[in-house]
Amino acid sequence: MPEAAKSAVTSWAAADRSPPSAAAHRSNENAAPRVSGRLTLSLRSGIRAVDPLRFLGLIIFVLAWYALSFLFQPIILPPPQAVLFRLLADFWDAPNLSYYGVAEPNLYANLVYTAENVAIAVLCGAAIGVVSGLVSARVSIFRAIVDPIMTTAGTVPILVAAPFLLIWFGVGRASAVGLVIFYVTVIMYLFAQKAASNLNPIYEEFARTLGASPRRIIIDLLLPATVPEILGGLRIALAGAWGLEAISELLGSQEGMGKVLEVLAGATDPEGIMATLLLLGFVAISVDAVVAWAVARVTGWNAGLHSGGSQT
Amino acid sequence: MNPPSNRMIELVHVQRDFRRADGQRVQAVVDVSFVIPEGQFVCLVGPSGCGKSTLLQMLAGLLPTSSGGIVVDDKEISGPGPERGVVFQKDSVFPWMRVIDNVEYGLKCRRVPAAERREIARSYLRQVGLSHVERAWPRELSGGMLKRVAIATVFANGGRVLMLDEPFSALDYVTRRQLQDVLLNLWSADKSGVRKTVLFVTHDVDEALALADRILVFRSGCQVDDIPVEKERPRSADSLLEPDMIAIKRKLLHHIGLDRPALPDAPAA
Amino acid sequence: MRAAGQRIRDRWISLGVLAAIALLWQALSILFPVEAVPGEPMIAGWQVMFSKTLLSMADYWQGGLGVPSVSEGAPRTYLAAILSLLSHSFDTIVRLVCGLALGGVVGLALGLAVSWSAWSRRLVDLPVQFLRTLPLLAMVPLFQLWFGTYFIGKVLFVAYGIGVIVFAGTVNAVRNVPQIYIDNARSLGASKAMMYRTVILPGILPEMRSTLLLSLGTGWGAVLGAEYLGAQSGLGYIIVYAGQFAYLDRMSLVAIIFIVATSISYRAAGALTARMLEWAPDSQRA
Repeated sequence: MPEAAKSAVTSWAAADRSPPSAAAHRSNENAAPRVSGRLTLSLRSGIRAVDPLRFLGLIIFVLAWYALSFLFQPIILPPPQAVLFRLLADFWDAPNLSYYGVAEPNLYANLVYTAENVAIAVLCGAAIGVVSGLVSARVSIFRAIVDPIMTTAGTVPILVAAPFLLIWFGVGRASAVGLVIFYVTVIMYLFAQKAASNLNPIYEEFARTLGASPRRIIIDLLLPATVPEILGGLRIALAGAWGLEAISELLGSQEGMGKVLEVLAGATDPEGIMATLLLLGFVAISVDAVVAWAVARVTGWNAGLHSGGSQT
Repeated sequence: MNPPSNRMIELVHVQRDFRRADGQRVQAVVDVSFVIPEGQFVCLVGPSGCGKSTLLQMLAGLLPTSSGGIVVDDKEISGPGPERGVVFQKDSVFPWMRVIDNVEYGLKCRRVPAAERREIARSYLRQVGLSHVERAWPRELSGGMLKRVAIATVFANGGRVLMLDEPFSALDYVTRRQLQDVLLNLWSADKSGVRKTVLFVTHDVDEALALADRILVFRSGCQVDDIPVEKERPRSADSLLEPDMIAIKRKLLHHIGLDRPALPDAPAA
Repeated sequence: MRAAGQRIRDRWISLGVLAAIALLWQALSILFPVEAVPGEPMIAGWQVMFSKTLLSMADYWQGGLGVPSVSEGAPRTYLAAILSLLSHSFDTIVRLVCGLALGGVVGLALGLAVSWSAWSRRLVDLPVQFLRTLPLLAMVPLFQLWFGTYFIGKVLFVAYGIGVIVFAGTVNAVRNVPQIYIDNARSLGASKAMMYRTVILPGILPEMRSTLLLSLGTGWGAVLGAEYLGAQSGLGYIIVYAGQFAYLDRMSLVAIIFIVATSISYRAAGALTARMLEWAPDSQRA
């Protein structure tokens, strides 16, 4: 009986997908395709996914930067090629960093440090946040207690919370990661709660009429059904975590991309700052693209169900 | 005033292809040609996926043809326009405008002076029975009321052609019947000389029989039949049970594939 | 949908939780009378906050309005403390509002302009996405370099952070306007300009509301960041300055004021925009 409930609900959810409307096809003429559930690895869809116009936009941006750099001194606006070369040169070895007390004087090691912290923070924060968020959507007492904590804490800007943590727990990995865990938890809590609350009660009612127990409902229904929205929130939390981690490190750390930024800022080195930011942004975007692809593969059944939601 | 045109709407070898997400080509509309004289009420009938909605979208100018031409009132169409009004299946009433502002919208686009367009809008709201909700927000109205607003809007805007894409399919039976009457009343009360030419897409055979002068039947993207319906309107329940109407209904059901008993290996419609 | 009775009960529980946190704070301050620096407790109890700490705010008053400045030898008074808090809050808020206005207007205008044609939207997509990923606060040093520590520099920084968010949000919102409204408008005879004015602009309001609240949050963070790295006034300035001396009690007091200010601003923004959305069905108004 539980198996019947599970497959009945999931197949019913899949049947919900309406056939593509004329309008959807029409809009495909002009717009690049949205991430569809079945991202086949065929060459045709690969070419469609890489939109030439978007790349043209990026090239125009770089060219505009190049042109602007002629109007200003390199100390104000370094040209793009200088920034790129600096990035490549400093990646493995940046002796100037060791003058300023950076533990590992190259970009690579600091990038790894930051990436590790982001990974730890996102995993821990997501675990705590998602579980408490899901529970809060179903147990209203829990929600009444935890909600005010989360929303008040969430509105504290990181720059206000950071000095406290630094003085209480000292400079080091713990306080930097701790801050980011904190914010990721709040974000994931809100997303999980919203996902569970928004879940159409009809699925649950249907499952109950088929005889599913509460435990079955949570495992076979609540968890899988909220996964798409939660994964969407995870992407957003991950994107923000890079910046938060950088700031945490900037304020009080001995290594990491944030520390590098702080050091270069103190040395008035815009070329270095831009190179570091470029690297950080590039890594964040690449990771995001991979996560987006993985999410699309996992939540293939969801394509078309939640149309019209906000997407990037 | 021109004499009624014999070829108000003309389709010439119209075709429409789609490319599905997996790359396959799908032919939604295959080599369709027909002519509709002015003032005729035509129903496009067929099962789901037969291409009738796609055809309507092309006629409305919201979708380009893959090949073939569409001529309305001696002009080849190239996009949507007020001379071809559309009532959509979903709610198209703008939620951020009050009902009366919605009804005057088309007139406002053509810069009709405020007082005049108010009058026109009010008159049509009266004709669809919604004068009392003139200042309401759309979110306060039921599905049936919103459809009346949409119909009033399109009629208020003038235009010689009216297209409806399964407009009542999302509503309950009673509301559907009421709205059919509303539509017919507005259509026959048209004071501007010749009535509008109407194209009404539906999968409901009974609806087509109640409304149409002529039924074009579609299946798998092709037109398979062209059935004239010569019955006086309004058509009471009794008149729909007369032998000639039953014969037409039988023909329609046959085209849709609903007259055969459902055997496991019977070919699908 | 929870019953009204349940909601009232939940409200009481929420208040109780906040009270419990306050008590917990006090308990911790008694349990951990650790001092970062002699005379400066790590966790300042409420009695300390409202007496000594509040008075110490007077240190930041530069004088004027008939109340002399502490730095010139005058005693600390509550009046000076209140005045100083008001004046610093005012400075911070002014920077925030100017940045919000500038960034919001420019972001919205550019977003609408770019959305006019599908080509321009795809053209700017990648650069904007990249700019959005760059951690905003990490760019403070760049802005300082370009615009100095003047008022205009801080406002431009806040405007940049908000402009990027509003721009991306506007483009997204325009994309998400249901196609049926656009089709309907065109079928009724609307020109593209008319459609933009009467369909797109109202149609994006629900989503722009969320964008606005997000910008508000980012704006507060941005203005703090700008003050942290080069300002002579403002709430952020006090936190940093006090932080350098490990005056945790002062930092806590300003932090609380900050939280209260941001909460009020969220509520106010929410209420104001709710008025604009009176037509929207409840699902879009949350």
